[in-house]
Amino acid sequence: MTKSQPTTSKKIINSFDEFFTLIPIKINKNISFHHHLRNGDYVLNMVLDFYLKEKVQDINLFPSAIFPKYTKILDLLRNNQINNITTNYLNGPVADYITNNGLKGTLKMQTHGGRARSILEGKNNIDIAYIAAPYTDNQGNAIGYKGLNKCGSLGYAIADSEQAKIVVLVTDHITNEIVKDPEIKAENVDYIIKVDSIGDNLGIVSGTTNITTNPIGVKIAKNTSTLLNELGLIKNGFSFQSGAGGASLRVTKDVKDIMLTNNIKASFFSGGITKYHVEMLEEGLVEKLYDVQCFDIEAIDSMAKNSHHHPISASIYANPANPNRVIKDLDIVILGATEIDYDFNVNVTTDSHQNLIGGSGGHSDTASEAKVTVIVSPLIKGRIPVIKKRVTTITTLGENVDCFVTERGIAINPKRTDLIKKLEHTSLKIISIEELAKLAYSYTGIPKETKTTTNQIGVIEDRTYNIIDKLYQK
Amino acid sequence: MSSRSYLFIPGNTPSMLQNLDVFDADTVIIDFEDSVVSFDKDAARILVRNFLEKFDFTTTEIYIRINDATSEFFTEDVASTKDLNITGYVLPKALPDHILKLNNLTDKLIIPIIETPMAVLRMEDIAKLPNISGLLLGAEDLTKDLNIRRTLEATEILYTRSKLVLVSSAYNIDSIDTPWVDKDNLDGLTEDTLNAKNLGFTSKCAIHPNHIEVINTAFTPNELEVLEAKRIVKKALESTKGAFSLDGKMVDLPIIEKAKKTIEKAKKYNLL
Amino acid sequence: MKASAGTYESSDCNITVQYNDTTLINVESIVFEQFGDQIKEVIIQTLTTHNLINVKVDCFDKGALDYTIKSRLETALKRGGYIE
Repeated sequence: MTKSQPTTSKKIINSFDEFFTLIPIKINKNISFHHHLRNGDYVLNMVLDFYLKEKVQDINLFPSAIFPKYTKILDLLRNNQINNITTNYLNGPVADYITNNGLKGTLKMQTHGGRARSILEGKNNIDIAYIAAPYTDNQGNAIGYKGLNKCGSLGYAIADSEQAKIVVLVTDHITNEIVKDPEIKAENVDYIIKVDSIGDNLGIVSGTTNITTNPIGVKIAKNTSTLLNELGLIKNGFSFQSGAGGASLRVTKDVKDIMLTNNIKASFFSGGITKYHVEMLEEGLVEKLYDVQCFDIEAIDSMAKNSHHHPISASIYANPANPNRVIKDLDIVILGATEIDYDFNVNVTTDSHQNLIGGSGGHSDTASEAKVTVIVSPLIKGRIPVIKKRVTTITTLGENVDCFVTERGIAINPKRTDLIKKLEHTSLKIISIEELAKLAYSYTGIPKETKTTTNQIGVIEDRTYNIIDKLYQK
Repeated sequence: MSSRSYLFIPGNTPSMLQNLDVFDADTVIIDFEDSVVSFDKDAARILVRNFLEKFDFTTTEIYIRINDATSEFFTEDVASTKDLNITGYVLPKALPDHILKLNNLTDKLIIPIIETPMAVLRMEDIAKLPNISGLLLGAEDLTKDLNIRRTLEATEILYTRSKLVLVSSAYNIDSIDTPWVDKDNLDGLTEDTLNAKNLGFTSKCAIHPNHIEVINTAFTPNELEVLEAKRIVKKALESTKGAFSLDGKMVDLPIIEKAKKTIEKAKKYNLL
Repeated sequence: MKASAGTYESSDCNITVQYNDTTLINVESIVFEQFGDQIKEVIIQTLTTHNLINVKVDCFDKGALDYTIKSRLETALKRGGYIE
């Protein structure tokens, strides 16, 4: 629905057709997208539909993540139009397809910090960055926390906007005023394409969760917050990050209760931000929120009104080459796992049936830098013990993982003799990871190894650029 | 010694059975009654039998709530479980002759549920029967019987609660308060539990694992109580007299015995 | 007689038994790759313990542990009149 709009800018283009007459579609094969509109994104499919129809070959896709709704990628894969995909997370039909069929080139899984680094250092060579922008002025100064289809932080798009050869904002809201403190800066923007709608509100905040009330999750969270407290980590000025899953949020809630009892104020929370984190900011329990991704509408609105709620780029969040990265000061991170092994290597990329179901996102980054990394998980998921001799896929190296908390016991990485010493007189059940595995097997029996093909379809690239594992076709 | 918490779990649900020790309840009551539909009573018996034969529990006490003594399921419930490694049975709608019937079938301990007006009247007769380890208040059924509303203030069950506490205390058995049934309202649970504690209950039962933490906390001696108990026991050992003064207050045998019990509890719950 | 026991809930299994010329066991499971053989083994052992050979067993499993598979089978057999 277009009303009168400012057309005083040379950057503004009226349609994609016009854009592709200026920038021929078949020339620039390395294209990128961000995933801040999550499962409510229209832009990626909208753009890729052109590539599909024009039968562009050998596309190298750099989406920061792939959600179930991004079905045009599936169509392109089926048509063998895609060469490589480089991403930090994938789930849904595209992931299933690649699991079972592979792709022409390679699936390279990076981390949020590693992706930013790769782009800024020229290793991820992006020709066109298509950036869905909820709110922009007519020069291309853009933010994500205003507009009909607001999504909050645009953190994963910033490196792309600084380094891509051609930067295209795709927006449904151009304002007459100049946007102050933009996340995407006009000086980096080449084109602005206005469309009717960049996304669907409900889908943007889809997949978010509430604090779990599942009794097992409640117990795990209780064990975790008790552990953190006994390790003396919940103290004035501490910093903290947790995932947005139900169990992680429960940990956040339990930590909050301890903070209230002991009058503790945290220095910052980082990562994906939810209404629970916002509540704690507004209640004075934490100084700042460093937000690389908003998970609900409360987080988005908070960013618009709370001056201590800062949107940050993926580079400022977690780029190991960025000396100002936020997570270098991170004290505690709470993360999940599909699998963990005797060396404390963690998998969040594939499940125990070898399907691609995720990816590092910020998992590996935060585990590398946080002073204490805690993995939380039920001991057994659907009869499958979460602990294995060796994980199906290494997302995060064991040397960066300190504690594994389940409902039936806690394992501490033997390297952390300092933590083990602090827990000498604990009433928590601390046992070795092998014993914890044995405990699981006493319930489930020993599972047979699932078979894999030797057909390699991808790699797991660490933020250090090391390939730490490979992906195989199912 | 008292259990602080008694958790009901459905007897025909494998995911709950195999996690029964995770929830930190002192006692778990595996239920064959209200949570198992009539056409699955047989399935529950077989499931629980195989489960308890495979798994042992050292830190959790286990009872089974069988169907009431007048039901068609009662006899088979007992027959199929009496040689299992359980502490005893919880008997719904209990009356004295029901308990005698159960005593004839097994030596295991019994916790009668006081949930009918007649049971309230005959509480003492029930408490003095053999093998009774506690009395459990079933206020939901009781108030339904009386056609009155259950409230948080609980004045409608005040008399019954008080009587149950007195009878249990006199016969040295556990007094187990009625469960809080509003699953998500933990503030209400806390208030209700503290009310029960202040009336003298030793324990409370729960119908949801998420309620156990509140209940355990309420019925666990706090730091101050443990400290005072330690001082009393220490002075009692040093004193040659049966009674003495501590902080200007009179301490005699009953208080010393109570202090010893508190120390026992503190040891059990790792507070020392 | 044909009879069933168990549910389709997580950690449970649904088992149906009926008369058959020979012993026939079908297992469908969310963890078939990892535990399919183990599930079959439990079923075979249970049938053997009760000396049953002319039974068809259909098992639809949602991650049940061994004791649950054994229980649901025994319950179905009892309901079908195959055992006491």
